[in-house]
Amino acid sequence: MTLLTILLLACITFGTRYLFLEGRLPVRLGPNLRLMLSYSGPSVLAAILTPILLVRNDQLFLSISNPYLWGAGAAITAAYKTGNIYWTIGVGMLVFIATGQLI
Amino acid sequence: MRGNNRALKIATLRGVLDMLPLSLAVLPWGILFGSLAVQRGFSWLEAQLFSGIIFGGAVQIVTVELIADNSSLFTVLFTAFIISSRHFLYGLSLRERLSPQPLRWRLGLGFLLTDELFALSGHRRAYIGKLRLYYGLAAGGSFYLAWNFWTFIGIVAGASLPDLTDLGLDFAIAATFIALVVPGIKSLATLAAVVTAATASVFFTLWHFELGLICSALLAMIVGFTVNKLRGSPEDSL
Repeated sequence: MTLLTILLLACITFGTRYLFLEGRLPVRLGPNLRLMLSYSGPSVLAAILTPILLVRNDQLFLSISNPYLWGAGAAITAAYKTGNIYWTIGVGMLVFIATGQLI
Repeated sequence: MRGNNRALKIATLRGVLDMLPLSLAVLPWGILFGSLAVQRGFSWLEAQLFSGIIFGGAVQIVTVELIADNSSLFTVLFTAFIISSRHFLYGLSLRERLSPQPLRWRLGLGFLLTDELFALSGHRRAYIGKLRLYYGLAAGGSFYLAWNFWTFIGIVAGASLPDLTDLGLDFAIAATFIALVVPGIKSLATLAAVVTAATASVFFTLWHFELGLICSALLAMIVGFTVNKLRGSPEDSL
């Protein structure tokens, strides 16, 4: 029974991922929808990352004693200046850990 | 032929390397899932199968709890569907570039299309050409192996390990996503979309709204689209 449930769950995750990759699916993307979808990448990523920074234990944590904010500030600056993924993560992590120790 | 092989190797290596921060950052959740599944009475094989064939972090952790609590099959599947609904957006966004590819590429990359792989799929020419397909396969495949390996460690060592989710490794995920988003903000429309998504997602998270992620993203896309139309300007002018 559990195995069947796992199998059905796998069908759901795979089905939702695969559906629109199937060319025979009769869906045509018009220019307006395509323009809208061009914002999907940054939108999804911003929607995943911001709650990690700002929500702690179900509460808004907007304070200078939040190391996530310091780390994010440093990461944003590094990303803007270098455009390099490793510099951004490195500088961000460093500031995040350092402020976490200090605060 | 030799040069071709070399290029493929480099593309594969770059895929693995670009995914590496995310593969490492999900370690606490992989371990958490493995140990949670065993503690809630699932067999080793079942726990590993969750990661092996379902392959979705949030879906796995939520459904393991639901199944262990004897929720109805409908509740389990419906909850999984709600959490997975964001995949529709990923598929739609990549449809133009992936749907003309041969079936084996669509099946393989479709199976691997997690939040993390979508995060690395933002390039204008992503999945166009053999090298970029290999890049995606390597990125998604290495993440799959990592997730399954962390799960395995959780299954084996689970109860004896401390909770690692408080270590702050989630910051590494946030930093990686910042690295992927910020350099791409080249127009007012994109900036507006990002700010909208950031704001909406925080509110939805505080309200425990299950569809928060996809709703924030859709709202942000509409805002980006509208700003673009109002300004009537080319994409790259902030």
